[in-house]
Amino acid sequence: MRIAAGVDVGSTQTKAVLVGANGDGIQVLARSLIDTGANVRKAAEKAFDECCQAAVIAQADVGFVVGTGYGRYNISFGHTQMTEISCHARGAHFLCPGTRTVIDMGGQDAKAIAVGPSGEVLDFVMNDKCAAGTGRFLANAAEVMGLGLDDIGPLSLRATRPVKIATVCTVFVESDILSYLSQGKRPEDIMEGVHLAIAKRTMSLARRVNIEPLVTMTGGVARNVGMVRALETVLGQKIIVTPDAQFMGAVGAALFSLEKLGESFESSVWRDHAVSSGD
Amino acid sequence: MAEKPASEYRGSIHQRQKDLMLDWYQRLDHSAETGDPPAVSMMISGNCVELLEGFGAIPLYPEVNALQLAIRHQSLEPILAAEEMGYAGDNCAYVKADIGCMLKGITPTGGRLPKPTLVLCNFVGCNTYVKWFEHVAVYTGAPLNVVDVPFLRSDQPSQADIDYVVRQLKEVVGQMEKLTGRKFDYDRFQQAVAYSSEVEDLWSQIKHLAKNSPSPFDAYFDAITLMGPLYVYRGKREGVEFFRAALNELQQKVRVGEGVYDHERFRVVVEGPPPYPYFRTFRDMFASWNAVAVASTYSTVGGLWEFGFRHDSKTPFESVAMHMLAQNVTNRNYLQRYDQIRRYVQEWKADGLIIHFVKSCRLFSAGQGDMRDYFTKQLGVPTLYIESDLEDPRYFAEAQTKNRIDAFFESLEHSKRTAEHAVRA
Amino acid sequence: MEQFERTFDSLYEGLQDLSFVGVRKWKEQHPGAKSVAFFPVYAPMELVHAAGMLPVLLSGAGDRLDIQHADSRFGSFICSIIKTTMEMAMTGHLEPFDGLLFSSICDSARNLCFVVKRNFPQMYVDFLHLPHSTSESSVDFLTEEYRRIITELERLGGSPIQPATLRQSIALYNIQRRLVRQLYELRAQSPHLLRAWESYVLIRSGNLMPVEEHIDILKQALERIPARPGKKRDAIRVVIEGSFCEQPPLELIRLLENAGCDIVEDDLTIAQRWFTEDVPLTGDPVRALAESYVHRSVYSSVRHDFFKPRWEGLAEKVRNTRAEAVIFLIAKFCEPAYFDFVLFKKKIDELGLPHLLLEFEEKLFTFDRLRTEVETFVESLVFD
Repeated sequence: MRIAAGVDVGSTQTKAVLVGANGDGIQVLARSLIDTGANVRKAAEKAFDECCQAAVIAQADVGFVVGTGYGRYNISFGHTQMTEISCHARGAHFLCPGTRTVIDMGGQDAKAIAVGPSGEVLDFVMNDKCAAGTGRFLANAAEVMGLGLDDIGPLSLRATRPVKIATVCTVFVESDILSYLSQGKRPEDIMEGVHLAIAKRTMSLARRVNIEPLVTMTGGVARNVGMVRALETVLGQKIIVTPDAQFMGAVGAALFSLEKLGESFESSVWRDHAVSSGD
Repeated sequence: MAEKPASEYRGSIHQRQKDLMLDWYQRLDHSAETGDPPAVSMMISGNCVELLEGFGAIPLYPEVNALQLAIRHQSLEPILAAEEMGYAGDNCAYVKADIGCMLKGITPTGGRLPKPTLVLCNFVGCNTYVKWFEHVAVYTGAPLNVVDVPFLRSDQPSQADIDYVVRQLKEVVGQMEKLTGRKFDYDRFQQAVAYSSEVEDLWSQIKHLAKNSPSPFDAYFDAITLMGPLYVYRGKREGVEFFRAALNELQQKVRVGEGVYDHERFRVVVEGPPPYPYFRTFRDMFASWNAVAVASTYSTVGGLWEFGFRHDSKTPFESVAMHMLAQNVTNRNYLQRYDQIRRYVQEWKADGLIIHFVKSCRLFSAGQGDMRDYFTKQLGVPTLYIESDLEDPRYFAEAQTKNRIDAFFESLEHSKRTAEHAVRA
Repeated sequence: MEQFERTFDSLYEGLQDLSFVGVRKWKEQHPGAKSVAFFPVYAPMELVHAAGMLPVLLSGAGDRLDIQHADSRFGSFICSIIKTTMEMAMTGHLEPFDGLLFSSICDSARNLCFVVKRNFPQMYVDFLHLPHSTSESSVDFLTEEYRRIITELERLGGSPIQPATLRQSIALYNIQRRLVRQLYELRAQSPHLLRAWESYVLIRSGNLMPVEEHIDILKQALERIPARPGKKRDAIRVVIEGSFCEQPPLELIRLLENAGCDIVEDDLTIAQRWFTEDVPLTGDPVRALAESYVHRSVYSSVRHDFFKPRWEGLAEKVRNTRAEAVIFLIAKFCEPAYFDFVLFKKKIDELGLPHLLLEFEEKLFTFDRLRTEVETFVESLVFD
């Protein structure tokens, strides 16, 4: 079996994934997730180590490592790096076959990626200068309301009359929320208002690329059921979320890693993608 | 991935350009001291520098001052000074840098800048130009003349448009005679227009050299660096000599197949001004992919000469008016810019389009999302959209910008390899 | 009288309507007739009217439209009215209009014109170059530019515009402008009889209806207002400057008044007060309109000044209305207003008058922060 790894060093969390390929196809062998913290290099090493332990594989047996995410140049043991855009597209294509659009919402940025039939990036847009449409916006809003991040999704599902949030500034939304609380609005309606505001902003961004089904959501925010539903409401379409949504970048990196490992198999990888991705 | 290439132009013309511009700043310093020659402030786009030759006047370009400051990493201080005075965060940073310099007595080379004899606002589409020069006139106490150049709202300017501009230009001549005490030298003006025509022809030939593969120069980074003499020396013999030398140097490179990189990998068209405070850093991001710009819209702010227009010394006033009306990127309408870019992509054989949105400049940037829509959805041209500012160093996110550029070229790389495999198979 | 009092609220309702009910009704009543809409600020409505068409002044979609599509065409750092106008176009709201006219007010709006043109090729979309030059040649130029528009309107399907017809249209709009001027005078003299939000809806409602109807409404208002019961109050006389294009929410105008300001002058509806006197009805009417634009018009941030700097114009406004303070009410990202603010502020400081800078967007749902700023400002002036 050929074994390769992908390490995704994000601003808040670092993920590592091991994949293996043999005659039966490609499988994900293990994953790991830790907080990035201040030391990016250590975070990458730790995530990789934990992942290898989880797969019961020696680090030396990993043939190739691709790094991705903002910290991709700080992976001491990495062989090369790819942007997380390319990796998310690839990962989503593998885990959710038929994906043509990826909506990635992470801690600090949001992206929309138009994906081709082989998992290649056709087009992409990013919002990376402003917190609206990212996990940070949600986290701030949750904090103002004294709620945990895991609570806000289920809470917002119970809304009946969501409030209107006009601002896209994560700081200003706090005063909007306080204003609504003092007006006696229900927390579920406020939270749904926040979710809808982000969903609209994200879809507005996403519409710059051709949105085609199937639409897959990736990134940490995908765990928020309220956010998924808000996006589906605004988009008017079902959105696919996998349990591995947070690992999508690392999975994609690992798949690229696998290709690099078998460089001589490259042409077959690109031509016969159906075989290698388990379609 | 790519080997680390030189992202520096290899040749002598950049140095010659620097010398010429330094010479200009020295003459400005002399003008500040002695009042001779009289200085006239103008805007770069759609400028009528030939008219100044009729008075032996020297042009003063606040935009050039602003960009020089940014390239030298000195733009933040004057911007902050202007903001303290009341200018908004969202006002064009070029203006703030220039006003801030006036307030603080900063100049790009440390030499003096003269008080203009006339603040001549050639209003060619950019509404900010008018505000800028209104403020400059208030702060310097110099007289202001706004030459209202009708916006190019159809394919060609109308006769009414041309007549209007010619009348105003002649009024400027009358005003300058009063202000300088000098009689307008029509022959010198005509000669300047003739020199302009020669310079334009040389510059156009240079731009067309980028059609070669490999391109001998980068039509964004190198072209922008070479632009200075295009507005300072266009109507002068020195301008002709400079551009002739530049053309020779570049033609020699084409003859021996010397490109910007040892292996040119990607050819792109670039739209929008550069992030001057990060000029080198930005260039390196493309260099790491061996990506060369084969055409750019920003390098046509000083005039659009690639498609055949030349000044005509037989009808000097009319042809100056035509240039101001129709042959610079700012007075041309947005759809004409789409067309300009489309021609670049097709005729210069580019792999993709880079749209650089700058916060300061709504003339360039307002609507670039629609431009992107046109190129990706209608024409199928791979397009990258990145954002920063042209003058204010606070609006450049290096890691994010590099990330987007890398993602774009990764995907172009993949398309190229797939196409190459298909050919081989 | 009671019925009259309800006028303001019902006019406000009309302003909220994004389906242009009045325009559709007019088109039903005039089968085959066309309607042409103008993007702010100034528009030569008379030309459209004389062609037998209905001229309409757009002013964005306020807080009534979510921007879901326009964002992909116009990104950050662009004011809201550009996006809401684009959004209206992209969601079919501008379907009743056969033509859209823009003019040289700012860089963003100019680009908007051509983006709309590309995306809606079936509409007549045009750009009117209004002059910025103090040269006399600008009158000749604008006359030709107006003739160009007339040719296009005739081509669009309007009836050929005869000079006599155009003079009649000009006469009508002269009346409308005179009535608007009277309203402003009345409000400045007796702010307790006419609130700023009321005069605003009275005037703004005229954007969406035939001028003949609007004249009736204004005449009626001018008759009834002096008889209204209204108590004078201790408030600060304030000039509002900077809201000439994107409009503040009505709630914001009310907020300013409730906080203790009498708005005695503003530039909210500057298009309807563009000329300082009647446009002459003698001679070539096209030329009369052009010449009035150059010689007989008010100052505005959207253009270069013809004969004296804009800040002198602001000083005059302050003097004429005996204002005690200036509030610069500027739309977020409005470049012309923000540039002018610097020299306007300089002038107001020279006059020794207090001023406040407030930034707004068309779309605001919570007003707490703004309320705090205004109340603090008023308190600082009252408790001196």
